[in-house]
Amino acid sequence: MRKPFFLAGLLPVLVTLFITPALALDLAALIRDVEIQYTGRSSHAIVSMQVSTEHWQRTMEMESWSLGRDYFITRITEPAKDRGVATLKRDKDVWNYLPKVDRVVKVPASLMGGSWMGSHITNDDLVKGSQVDKDYTFQLLHEDEGIYRIEGIPRPEAAVVWGRIVYTLDRARRVPLRVDYFDEDGVKVRELVFSEVQQVGDRLIPLTMTVQPTDKPDEKTVVRYRDITFDISLQDDFFSLRNLKKR
Amino acid sequence: MLVQLAFRNIWRNRRRTLLTLSALVISSSLLILSLGIFSGMMEDMLISATEQYYGHILLSSPGYQDDRDIYLNLPEDPALLKRLATQPHVQGISARLRSFGLLATGVKSYPVEMLGVEPTAESSVTHFSEKLVAGRFLHNDSAREVVIGSGLAAKLNVQPGEELVFVGQAADGSIANDLLQVAGVFNTGDSSHDNGLVITGLKWLQDILVLPGRIHEISLRIDQALLAPTIASTLPHMTSDGDPLEIFDWGKLLPEMQEAIASYDVSRVILACILYAAAGLGVLNTFFMSVLERTHEFGVLRAIGLRKRQLWQLLLLETLLLGLTALALGLLLGLFMTYLMCRFGWDLSSHMTAITYAGGTILPRLRAVFDLANFTVPAFFLLIICLAAGLLPARRASRLSPMDAIRNE
Repeated sequence: MRKPFFLAGLLPVLVTLFITPALALDLAALIRDVEIQYTGRSSHAIVSMQVSTEHWQRTMEMESWSLGRDYFITRITEPAKDRGVATLKRDKDVWNYLPKVDRVVKVPASLMGGSWMGSHITNDDLVKGSQVDKDYTFQLLHEDEGIYRIEGIPRPEAAVVWGRIVYTLDRARRVPLRVDYFDEDGVKVRELVFSEVQQVGDRLIPLTMTVQPTDKPDEKTVVRYRDITFDISLQDDFFSLRNLKKR
Repeated sequence: MLVQLAFRNIWRNRRRTLLTLSALVISSSLLILSLGIFSGMMEDMLISATEQYYGHILLSSPGYQDDRDIYLNLPEDPALLKRLATQPHVQGISARLRSFGLLATGVKSYPVEMLGVEPTAESSVTHFSEKLVAGRFLHNDSAREVVIGSGLAAKLNVQPGEELVFVGQAADGSIANDLLQVAGVFNTGDSSHDNGLVITGLKWLQDILVLPGRIHEISLRIDQALLAPTIASTLPHMTSDGDPLEIFDWGKLLPEMQEAIASYDVSRVILACILYAAAGLGVLNTFFMSVLERTHEFGVLRAIGLRKRQLWQLLLLETLLLGLTALALGLLLGLFMTYLMCRFGWDLSSHMTAITYAGGTILPRLRAVFDLANFTVPAFFLLIICLAAGLLPARRASRLSPMDAIRNE
């Protein structure tokens, strides 16, 4: 199971929001600034995730909380069969809580690349997605009056999944339009497409993210942030295994 | 007349003949015995490779065995199972469902392969129930019970009676999870199964995966594993509903095992050649000596009208007769020794442990099995060697001029 999704979705957005004003300067420095600016930042969201595969289609409703880039909890509220299933991410570890058996199960390292909740998002997306600016070096690929296109190449020592990530940003609104992921052989593996850009508090964010695996054009996962609030009051002890079990 | 002559000739020097004969008899019977033991090891490996997991023949949806896609499943098809049961050679049938997921206890969790089976049917095909080191096998196919490998039990630190959590993904996309009790722990000697295979009830797995009435494969046990490709080709290629079936014999599922067995056929011939090379030189020596000694006699034979060709035939007949005698005695002795090794065997478990090779496990014991080729190959090569060893002396004798030969004392 996996659940790294929301952070992964939020991060490129946040990253791009903060990067763009200083693109002409030093992208890596900007990303570090972004990281510092976001420490201690918190959010609460109601999210729906619609997963379509060759064999089934289902929509899940979830409630999620995050604190900084290291802490994250999400809990399924619909459908009834999976209600109460929750995921906790603390630093690089991911746990799932299963209400049916009242147990917490840690996702082992060997399954971090597996699908989260049957979606096209992996556990790694949550864990690795939250430190993209640490693991990758960035360069501006393309710039015109409409967009910026930024390429991320993993640092040699970084233990990452992707061989290359290409971010496309809306220049005027400073929001991401899409992210393309390539494997180590340079073959495109999947794409994220962002839409429904809206003003939330003092910033613009795309409320919808679509994950599309390249090798399965008929399959996709659509994540919609229905209700998102930033800068809520949360302590890191909220993101505990004990709290994960609470319904 | 020639045969009679040849027969008398070989018994003229009784001691020499008996010595040569005993060399041939001992080398051929030892060869038969060692081939029988080799066959026994191969059979142990084949049994461990097939009867510990796959079975001899597998029927599944086309493509299922390649990537084990949960959706490439089949209906539970009682009519098909009944039809398979009536096929000749088929001794056991087990319908199975498979899933990959996570088995966890406390903070430890490991990826596992769950194999859902009906316990009695599975025991008619594979031998997990005989490989238990703790606890018991499954009682029925719907209890929330598992039998796990010994390596996995050690990693999770669980004993029979303790609880585990299974987490996986159901066919409808939902999260499959349940609490399971460890019924037993098996140890097959195959580390990949001991570390990651979990046997559970078919009905329970169907429920948890939301695949009611579906299975992934039908595994068969047949009475002669080596005939699997032939028997597989006679089986029905469709379910009762007309869905196609892909049929694998163990050779396709375990290509390394098949290669190991093919290489055994070659090593059998090589072994025969090596053992017989020494015996063959003995025969060659015997006949050269006998030809040299009898030069005068050959001259007389030629002088009284025996043709070159007949002399040549006489000498070859002598070696052939010696060979046939050796063969008869060697086969008898070989059969007897193989029978003893077959019946009683030799337990080596105090000296060595089981070895896993090519997907099969070589057990720490010596035990022979009867395999016709283990007798025909040594027999064939024994005759070839005798004739080859007789050829040179025969040629030499037949080329002597009668005059020279008679003068030779």
